[in-house]
Amino acid sequence: METLQFALRKLLYSIPLLFGVTFISFFLMVYHGPDLTYTILGKNPTPEQIAEVHRDLGYDQPFLKRYFLFLKEIITFDFGSSISSGEKVSSILKKSVPVSFMVALPAFILSNALGIILALYAANHRGKKNDKIIMVMAAGGMSVSFLMVVIAFQIMFCTSYGLVDWFPVQGWISPPPNYPDATTGEILYYYWYYYWSHVTVPTLASVFVALGYNTRFFRAVIVEELNKDYVRTARAYGVSNRKIMIKHVLKNAMIPISTRIIITIPFVIIAGNLVVEKFFGIPGVGLVTYDAITNGDLPIVKAVVTSTAVLYVIALILTDIVYKMIDPRTSYNQ
Amino acid sequence: MSESTSKPVLSIQDLVVEFKTEAGLIRALDGVSFEVQEGEALGIVGESGCGKSVTALSILKLIPSPPGRIAGGSIELDGVDVVAQPDDEMRKVRGQLASMIFQEPMTALNPVFTIGNQMVEIIRVHQKVSKAVAKKQAIEMLRTVNIESPEQRIDQYPHELSGGMRQRVMIAMALSCSPKLLIADEPTTALDVTVQAQVMEEISRLQREMNMGLILITHDLGVIAESCTRVVVMYCGKIIEMAETEELFRNPRHPYTRGLLDSIPRIREKKLETLPIIEGMVPDLANLPKGCRFADRCPKAEDHCRENEPPLEDTESGGKVACFIPN
Repeated sequence: METLQFALRKLLYSIPLLFGVTFISFFLMVYHGPDLTYTILGKNPTPEQIAEVHRDLGYDQPFLKRYFLFLKEIITFDFGSSISSGEKVSSILKKSVPVSFMVALPAFILSNALGIILALYAANHRGKKNDKIIMVMAAGGMSVSFLMVVIAFQIMFCTSYGLVDWFPVQGWISPPPNYPDATTGEILYYYWYYYWSHVTVPTLASVFVALGYNTRFFRAVIVEELNKDYVRTARAYGVSNRKIMIKHVLKNAMIPISTRIIITIPFVIIAGNLVVEKFFGIPGVGLVTYDAITNGDLPIVKAVVTSTAVLYVIALILTDIVYKMIDPRTSYNQ
Repeated sequence: MSESTSKPVLSIQDLVVEFKTEAGLIRALDGVSFEVQEGEALGIVGESGCGKSVTALSILKLIPSPPGRIAGGSIELDGVDVVAQPDDEMRKVRGQLASMIFQEPMTALNPVFTIGNQMVEIIRVHQKVSKAVAKKQAIEMLRTVNIESPEQRIDQYPHELSGGMRQRVMIAMALSCSPKLLIADEPTTALDVTVQAQVMEEISRLQREMNMGLILITHDLGVIAESCTRVVVMYCGKIIEMAETEELFRNPRHPYTRGLLDSIPRIREKKLETLPIIEGMVPDLANLPKGCRFADRCPKAEDHCRENEPPLEDTESGGKVACFIPN
């Protein structure tokens, strides 16, 4: 109950922030985004034609009025239709967001979980050989360009030139060929099989890139905790090293770690997947955004930019809530 | 207290502890030997860096390793050879045979767990009891250290308690498995002066009631005078004087001990212009002088002192002193 109240209060406080974020995004899109007039009219239009298109698109309205119309679009989540396909933006997002989520989730979980495990191990053996090996490998993983990793992994796992030719290079799940007649079991098996065959290599590539950075960050946090007095106290009273690491140190370390993990969620779902989805031909938000940017499909860009901003604000609130759940020193009344 | 009838709960012989540092290998402890009898309170005094805390940590084998290691000597704790003990065996010793109270009650408790959670954990490390039973024991222990309404306190977090209260919780934790030896490393240094006396009284009372050996590490000779029967004075990793408390205060043999005693302000004596201090600095452990380690600061030092190290020898009053020209 306290948590809920706190969340609502935080949400209320974040309203000015949301105004700011949407205002800046809108400002940038109006003055630096594509102008559709010439896309519609082609070359050499007459001033009358331009004025007419401007009126149709609402470009002649005062800036503030357009901003409020934009706010109305956000609140109703109705950004109009895509210019290139004519499909409603909301229905495009409804299809692509779950796809992005399914692609990002395994990599997100693995890169954080493995990162914490490796960091705990390295911190526990700090200064020794295995710690150094892990840290050097983490630095290596961090330093390689994501684009290179994606291509290298595609060659390694998806072609006969590489190690194994087990996975398709590109594509995503589509309904089974005998769709209307297939049994539920068949459909489930089909989806399960194609899901993993399309998601394994992107996951490996994403984990490869994120793991190094995560491990280094998490290890630094854990090592700092290990030097705290309470660790010595626990040790002096006979608490086992295992319990010190997993109970005492980890819970304290989770305060900064969870903050970092949550704050990467919007990035992982949208921006981080831009490259993955483009290279693996996965029809998620990333690919939709990529195409919208290259085609100047303003309604989609608007929707994605604002949702990212809103997602960030929500992530910030979530961080505060989690922070308060872990750390009793912070009260709900602040 | 007659020493002949009691048996030592702790016996340290020729203990040598070394640390690897950038300046090379340094000896933080160099041939330290002393005993603590059952129910006896022993004080260890000395300046920062003289090896007081290293001695305390060595007894529980808590020296961070690397860079530190016990390079020689023996520590026998109630019949257990600490130096030879493997780490997981050592866990059973810690908290059970010998326990420790630290200086910083603010940071020595884990901030994200309730004190009950931390106490129950320690009890259950050493005793096979259920959580409910352990919690009851913890509440009893809090009552023993005079914490009011322990039933409520036990579910509080460390930040909800005052400094003195936290130190009481530390004492309760340290004593929850009735150890035979309690090591208190500057237990009152971080507390308010008014609280210091209360906490020290608490430690002394429990030490008597539970008949524990106590090692009290401090740089405050006043605290030692009130609660210890015997005192060890350390300087630069060595014991330089050891005596019954009364004897040491009345008749300090080593010039360093004399210096320490002279630098305590006294209210009743006529006001001195300036408080006497011990001139000079503690020598660098990585770069020790050849002879007596105190020679450079000693008002009585002779050439002989700078060339040879004085051994720790018995005095006629039953103590020990490491000085060629004792008082």
